[in-house]
Amino acid sequence: MKSSLRKRFLAALTACALAGFTVATVVEAAGARGGGGARAAGGGAGPSAQVNNSRADARTNEVRSSSVNNVNVSRDVNVSRNVNVDVDVDRGCCGWDHPVAAAAVVGATVAATSAVVGSIVYAPPPGCVPVNYGGMVYQQCGSTWYQPQGSQYVVVNPPY
Amino acid sequence: MLRRLMALSVIAMSLSALGAQAQTSPTSTEPPRASAVDSASIQALKDMGAYLQTLKRFRVSTEVTGERVLADGQKLQHTATADLDVDRPNKLRALMRSPGSERVLVFNGKTVTLYTPAQKYYSTVELDDTINGLIERLEVRYGVQIPLADLFRWGTAAAPLDKIESAMNAGQDFVDGDLCDHYAFRQGTIDWQIWIRTGTRPLPRKIVITSRSDEARPQSVSLLDWKLKPAFTDSIFQFAPPKGATKIEIIPRKTK
Repeated sequence: MKSSLRKRFLAALTACALAGFTVATVVEAAGARGGGGARAAGGGAGPSAQVNNSRADARTNEVRSSSVNNVNVSRDVNVSRNVNVDVDVDRGCCGWDHPVAAAAVVGATVAATSAVVGSIVYAPPPGCVPVNYGGMVYQQCGSTWYQPQGSQYVVVNPPY
Repeated sequence: MLRRLMALSVIAMSLSALGAQAQTSPTSTEPPRASAVDSASIQALKDMGAYLQTLKRFRVSTEVTGERVLADGQKLQHTATADLDVDRPNKLRALMRSPGSERVLVFNGKTVTLYTPAQKYYSTVELDDTINGLIERLEVRYGVQIPLADLFRWGTAAAPLDKIESAMNAGQDFVDGDLCDHYAFRQGTIDWQIWIRTGTRPLPRKIVITSRSDEARPQSVSLLDWKLKPAFTDSIFQFAPPKGATKIEIIPRKTK
């Protein structure tokens, strides 16, 4: 994957540009591996850059559908998908590659949240409970849900 | 000028004669349009699936480029990568990276753990099953998708080939230096393409899936890299919580 390396480098450049003045911190990976991933593209052993989406347009949260990664889907999942044709696709199920904001879906019921979906904080308020839903970690704070993204937390629609 | 016109009309006449012949001739060598499913392309999938099922211990890495469709139909692209270390029948370690997060899945045949290194949170669930059982149960019960799950389904009943409505050979192509056969399929609301390495080791090197359920047709492109003699040891399939790690609840998928 020679081209992918170049792609990763470009991605890292973009990430650096987006990161602006945020101080990047190192996050240690548990599964050490050779070859390097997106994080390693910033220049080998040095501190890795983290994404910062605080300048991302609010429209990026309005995801109505997304691509799929598998041809063969579990029959049971298909059944429930057919019932909720247009809202269930992205709600925590079945994309391992989705960026954080994919959890916010157009038309999803937004409870009376105190924080605006898409807004970003550096730490969730006290009293939040971390949970894993759909393979993603969230901080649930009453009716407000935060999802970690780099060194920040973004407010997302409740995943269920 | 006149000669040229005559020559043209002769050509036109012979062409139309050919056309008429093709239309009326019942012994035409053209395959009937009705059979959109090329059996050799289906056979190529069977051969690949059978070969994949013979692989016991391997690493496969992928880089996927996906798309999200925004409210007005505009598309945004994103990229993620994953490494899967596999020891059949029931050991798997997956490292998944997207721009905002990194996640690790560790399965030792008895329990599965999902770990996020950045927050040092992990969730562990008892799951006494094979890798295929793990894939199904994680997806159905927890809404967790494992990267490249298709690789484990091809060659089994979980990848029924009779659902394919159209199958064609799209020629040959190179993927990262490997000569591959390129096939294209349609089934349900997806169109998909696969590039399978030619020769005795028919490994999938590239997969493109186009969704037709949204008119914007979001598409994913996955590139696959294989290591059939991986360097990992069995210890990678055991999860030991790192110092300072916190166990958190994993919530079963809610179905409405």
